[in-house]
Amino acid sequence: MRRARSGDQGAMSQLVERHHASVFRVALSLVSDPDLAQDIAQDAFLKAFRGLDGFRGDAAFRTWMLTIAANTARGALRRVVRRRETGLDGVAPVESPEASPEEQAATGEEAARARAMLGRLPDKQRMAVQLRIDEGLSFREIGEIIGSSEGAARVNYFHGIRRLRELME
Amino acid sequence: MSDMGCERARVAIPDLVAKRLEAEARIEAEAHLGTCADCREEAELVALLVASRPEVPAGLSRRIDAAVRVRGGAVRRPWWGLAAAAVAVLALGIGVASRQGGPTSELPAYVADTGSESENLWLSDDGLIAGAPALDALSDDALVQLLDEMSSEGQA
Repeated sequence: MRRARSGDQGAMSQLVERHHASVFRVALSLVSDPDLAQDIAQDAFLKAFRGLDGFRGDAAFRTWMLTIAANTARGALRRVVRRRETGLDGVAPVESPEASPEEQAATGEEAARARAMLGRLPDKQRMAVQLRIDEGLSFREIGEIIGSSEGAARVNYFHGIRRLRELME
Repeated sequence: MSDMGCERARVAIPDLVAKRLEAEARIEAEAHLGTCADCREEAELVALLVASRPEVPAGLSRRIDAAVRVRGGAVRRPWWGLAAAAVAVLALGIGVASRQGGPTSELPAYVADTGSESENLWLSDDGLIAGAPALDALSDDALVQLLDEMSSEGQA
């Protein structure tokens, strides 16, 4: 981290390599568009590296990075919605992520359906479930990212799981 | 070994399914699932989600890394650096500029439509485009991207 802060390109590359997948998935969870999620991941890293001086070190870099990714994705989503509302472009409505036929074959229809149902949950529940299951984060870390207490993150996770179980029945 | 109970088991299920638990905790969680149908059902749902975790596009880390190398420096470029970069890039010809690029060759649509939200304009601090020697190391895509940025800056 110290090397990255001093502008060491190799250190920054290591951080990208280690965290880009999580950053991409967090962005995808919010915007449901793989191309846009890639743009957001790139933008999030640029913002993070430019703001490394502001990284206090009291949060793990991963948590800090994923918070930036989530905020960047939310900002992007607001702009996409605004563009749609003002008729500035024809971006398709943000919908639950649907797996391609190949993906469904690979992971099984039930798995693809569960993932699609996850997209139907409210934002904070969806993020809590995704961050807990896909990224293995603790509820304290999830709370930092979604802007809530550890307890609220836990509640969001369990409500999300319960709702998913209902949707899958 | 005493049963860990549903509350603790439900917290542990994602780590159990994703094989992130240490041996002792795994054995404890598996023992609970062996006796609790409700937690077993929840583990099955979590397993479906683990199986459908989104794939990360190939080459994404390289793309981000390249963008960071081109635009990620914290050094502010001087005014003469911009002028030198403009001359050098224009000298590379129109052919490069007319290429249709990949995802890194232009500002994402959501960034292009920033309006007053200038925090998303990536033009403020880029130490790597201060002169031609740095430009020599850039790929065509990176150069197209640079041209886009400069033309956007010119319009601002």
